[in-house]
Amino acid sequence: MTAPVPFAPGGSVPIPLREVEAELARQMQPLQGEGEHPLQFARMSNLVIFCDRRAEAERLAAEVPSVVAIHPARVLLLLGEAGPEDAPVTAAALVRPRQNGAIVNTCSEMIVLHAAGPTVARLPFAVRALLVGDLPINLWWASNQPPAFAGALLFDLAENAQQIVYDSRGWVEPTRAVAGTSHWLERFAKTLPGGRWRVASDLNWRRLKFWRRLLGQTLDPAIPGGATTTASELLVEHGPHAVVQAWELASWLTRLLGWKVRAGRVEPGIEIEIRWTFDAPHGPVVVRIKRLSEGPSEVRQVRLQCRIDEHPATLVFKPLDTTRLEVTTEGVEAAPLTVTVQPQSLAELVGRQLSDRERDPVFTESIATAQVLAQSLTA
Amino acid sequence: MKPAHTDASAAAKVFEGPTTLLPQPCQLVIFGGPGDLSWRKLLPAVYNLDVDGVLPSHFTVVAFGVPAEGASDADPDEYIRARAKSGIARFSRQAIDEATWANFARGLFFVQGSFNDMRAYEQLKARLDSLDQQFGIPGSRVYYLAVPPGLVGQCVEHLQAAGMIRDPADTTAFTRVIIEKPIGRDLESAREVNRVVGAAFAESQTYRIDHYLGKETVQNLLVLRFANSIFEPLWNSKSIDHVQITVAEDEGLAQYDPNTGDIIATRAGYYEGIGALRDMVQNHMLQVLCVMAMEPPWSLAPEVVRDAKVGVLNCLRPLSPTDVDTNVVRGQYIEGDMYGQRVPGYRKEVRQSFEAMGRELPRASVHSTTETFMSLKLFIDNWRWAGVPFYLRTGKRLPKRVSEVAIQFKDVPQILFNANPETQLEPTVLSVRVQPEEGLSMRIASKLPGPKIRIYPVKMEFNYASSFGGSSPEAYERLILDVMAGDATLFMRRDQVEAAWQFVTPILDRWERAAVRDLPEYQCGTWGPVEANRLIEADGRFWRNL
Repeated sequence: MTAPVPFAPGGSVPIPLREVEAELARQMQPLQGEGEHPLQFARMSNLVIFCDRRAEAERLAAEVPSVVAIHPARVLLLLGEAGPEDAPVTAAALVRPRQNGAIVNTCSEMIVLHAAGPTVARLPFAVRALLVGDLPINLWWASNQPPAFAGALLFDLAENAQQIVYDSRGWVEPTRAVAGTSHWLERFAKTLPGGRWRVASDLNWRRLKFWRRLLGQTLDPAIPGGATTTASELLVEHGPHAVVQAWELASWLTRLLGWKVRAGRVEPGIEIEIRWTFDAPHGPVVVRIKRLSEGPSEVRQVRLQCRIDEHPATLVFKPLDTTRLEVTTEGVEAAPLTVTVQPQSLAELVGRQLSDRERDPVFTESIATAQVLAQSLTA
Repeated sequence: MKPAHTDASAAAKVFEGPTTLLPQPCQLVIFGGPGDLSWRKLLPAVYNLDVDGVLPSHFTVVAFGVPAEGASDADPDEYIRARAKSGIARFSRQAIDEATWANFARGLFFVQGSFNDMRAYEQLKARLDSLDQQFGIPGSRVYYLAVPPGLVGQCVEHLQAAGMIRDPADTTAFTRVIIEKPIGRDLESAREVNRVVGAAFAESQTYRIDHYLGKETVQNLLVLRFANSIFEPLWNSKSIDHVQITVAEDEGLAQYDPNTGDIIATRAGYYEGIGALRDMVQNHMLQVLCVMAMEPPWSLAPEVVRDAKVGVLNCLRPLSPTDVDTNVVRGQYIEGDMYGQRVPGYRKEVRQSFEAMGRELPRASVHSTTETFMSLKLFIDNWRWAGVPFYLRTGKRLPKRVSEVAIQFKDVPQILFNANPETQLEPTVLSVRVQPEEGLSMRIASKLPGPKIRIYPVKMEFNYASSFGGSSPEAYERLILDVMAGDATLFMRRDQVEAAWQFVTPILDRWERAAVRDLPEYQCGTWGPVEANRLIEADGRFWRNL
């Protein structure tokens, strides 16, 4: 058997697994300036990142410095590739100085673990030995495989994790994944023993933060004469790979408005559309999620057909530019409204989510609604 | 009123205190000098003391025993010097300096002989007397019995028969003996060892070593508690929810050649049939518990400190058979994964080890039920600790090598920051790391920067290496030095050893009666059997992530 080639992205140094801690100490030593305070690792938590494609692992390795700039952590980047070989788990380590004004008094650390084929199941063992005690454990599940279907590997990696962060963007089999996620979330929250609880967070949900703010404030049922009491159709348009994001938004909004799903179906075609009929207090409403064939992988536009002052009108929610979301009204005269959006890179999304450990009941309830919508399609 | 002492001669010592902290001129005689403990720990420790310049000016080391198989008998002194140098090169915290080594080696000798051969003792005595003359030593001896437990009695009796033990009242020179753990394998045999040793040596001459007590962090527990005003007022059941003591080892029984996979060293001959309770809990862990939980001693005189420690052992709530069933968990490792490599389970490792040693596997070891892991919950029934559970866990082939004492403080009332049940608030924890990186840390809740009140646990760290620079002395260094200085503070007294055995005896009895074919299993590279989790989770608590 030939020795495996260690996967060592981003300048990390290949090292036997047993010697990772010593290598980190060795790399840290030359960063210590003479006469300065002892250099320390900046750590709020352990961040275990799992992905299953090499290109993705390389991309994530490049993102790590930006993530730990927001949420300092010991990063364990795991690449578990498909493959027939049963080679040992390999490791690489990297220490980076963190500039604090004119001085360097902290540094960050990244440990890369690589496994392929059957060896992937051994990654959790390697992780246990490398976690820093007494710090929260966060798992970033950076795989296209939805957590609900990830099985034993995710279960083992998350055995003591207080948060799992996943990204539903690009999920394969989105309908099936959405249908399974709510139950998985419920089980996941309950599996940590000893009275502890933990949270699961979808980056797609975080991406919708400003959409939800604008939609929620505009369509608040408490506003007299609001558009929702006359709504007849809701359309959510999204780019490729963003169907789950659109689905989450539609689920959240229909739940907020108290609409109950009656039936749903998928309309195949280049621009796939999913269509549901809802019962709203004022009558039936059609909700459509439409996939656009190209463009960014995100929600692109929300259109709500309704009546305003007895006139047919359409509220159109869409990005005005990269820093603002806008709502305009077609059919009647109304001034546009905008909300400022903080552009969030992947690193910013993850970094902020890692520090946010509060349960989000709105998220779990919206995912439960999403599951009901998924079941209506299979019924 | 100051506490009474259990030993009259020791009581006299209390008022004297240690006469001096300086090690006194003597010869250190290591029984089992060519052996593994001596090679890995003792000789490197003495060398480091020499490098640090703390050894007495008039001093020698004499190794006594049978050389390793295949060793040349041309020059015994050169044999032990070569062996010492290889051990120092491999295990010493300080690199070999040739000039220091040459000086050290000049005072290093080997007397070859079997421990049951009276003539060997006579030769040893003659050599020691001759070295006294040569090095200007007044006849003082420290006998370090680095031998299997079964040979302690034999060595002591021969020393006595050879007239090699001075009267403790002798003011011109001293004789002291260091005895390694395990002292006995149950209460009865421990008493027998103590009786045999006590027939030859006075208690004031006897130093029962537990190297954990020589670790800086363990000693620092006393400083932490009694030299800082903030901790001691909190050090009781009013503020502390529970305590966890963990001694985790990543190694199994055997060490393997990385290239061939062959066994190159094994502890199977010692460990099989002994197990974690006898190897770790009865001595190291209970001793650490004593330091953590003892009442403030009224002075730092050795007997006062040792009285305070034994006071903890005397307050341990005895375990009934039912308590053993519910509060004690044992386990044995099965095949798993360590540092990316598959490693065999315990039973297979025992078989392979006996094969490698060329010894027949004992019948009882074919389906060994030796525990490689155990966890237990105990209580100290005194005013300070009433109702506070102490959870102990130790095991081999756990994910990493780490030992610590963690004090978890009680939760704050659910009124302010954790009034919202959706907000997570971790309890405050003070953890004292014994190894590998000695130090302590405190986990507290802190507000995250930003407009919202968001709370996140943060760790305040003190690390010996980064605060004080360099490496801390090895535990054996401190302890050997203490023996030469006549300071018994960090050594176990006879009553302490017996009290510790007294506590674990019901566990041993229960296990013996409730013979099982298989123990709860855990994969190598995991934190023990699920039963251990259930033990603590039944109380609404959980083991710490280490």
